[in-house]
Amino acid sequence: QQATIAFGDLEQDTSQPVEVTADQLAVNNADGSAVFSGNVQVKQGEMTLAAAKVDVRYGTDQSQIKELLASGGVTITNLADKASAEEAVYTIETGVIVLTGNVQLAQAGSTMQGQKLTINLKDGTGIMEGRVTTTFVPGGN
Amino acid sequence: MSTTACAPGLPEVAGIDKHTRVVGWLKVALPLAALAILSTLFLVADRIDPEDALPYAEVDVEELAREPRMTAPSYAGTTSDGAALTLTAEEARPEATDTPAEARGLRLDLDTPDGARTELHAATAVMDDAAKQVVLSGGVKVTTSSGYVLDTPEIAAQLDRSGLESRGEVRAKGPAGDIVAGGMTLSQDNVTPGAYLLVFTQGVRLVYLPGGAGP
Repeated sequence: QQATIAFGDLEQDTSQPVEVTADQLAVNNADGSAVFSGNVQVKQGEMTLAAAKVDVRYGTDQSQIKELLASGGVTITNLADKASAEEAVYTIETGVIVLTGNVQLAQAGSTMQGQKLTINLKDGTGIMEGRVTTTFVPGGN
Repeated sequence: MSTTACAPGLPEVAGIDKHTRVVGWLKVALPLAALAILSTLFLVADRIDPEDALPYAEVDVEELAREPRMTAPSYAGTTSDGAALTLTAEEARPEATDTPAEARGLRLDLDTPDGARTELHAATAVMDDAAKQVVLSGGVKVTTSSGYVLDTPEIAAQLDRSGLESRGEVRAKGPAGDIVAGGMTLSQDNVTPGAYLLVFTQGVRLVYLPGGAGP
């Protein structure tokens, strides 16, 4: 089933500069496809996405990045909320991050598991799908 | 009317006629005029300076003799993995006893079999035969056909196989944004032999501006 949640603050501006830091960036000399590897961090505004490997998918021409495919264990933090999963796809224009593979979401005293979490940075909402289980800590911090 | 030139009367002798007088004066005036015109021929003529007839080249002949050098040399070869490598320079000095071969104003083109072309421009270069590489220094600008323009102080380019390795920080303008990295290598990808990878190493930072192409 589905559960909608709030994730991070509202109206995250997705046209802010995206800063990617990593140990290494390998670019294929012929087609120009790029792969960041080695504790990769993608920062945009309040959102930080950390992963082991990030593939860059370009848009129609090379100067637009369409998507970032993070894999090898991904954690996304946005203000107080933290989500982690095996893989994530961040489409920059629409500001949507889709996490897949036993997703864990930790928010102010409650944690939630599921198979797929879709976060929309623009309006700060998230939809958790697939065997959603939520655990509340009564009277927690 | 013509008067007869004869000796009978005294007035005839004294008053020799006008024509004879005019001719007499002309016989003096005309040669003098001729002399004058002739002399202007040399006075007015422009001086010809025999000195600059042959323009000499101001080249330091001793220096040329002491240091043999080649101007606009070019070196072409193919690396073991089939990439075409061409080096051209403005000026090069062959190897001497103590100094290795070096060049000035060097350009290196590497056409790898995957169809990509990488071009390097450097101020100076030193050939290192032992390691079969040429070290480009004095600020190297690298342009790749995949749209990257890199600046780095020094790069070592292998001559036997296609491989570039920067020595020092690399600043690059990629199609998607600006990149700063600790180092850079361009070499054959050992996973897929045909592919060549331009790898930024020792910490990479890319800044991408959505909407506009990089600043």
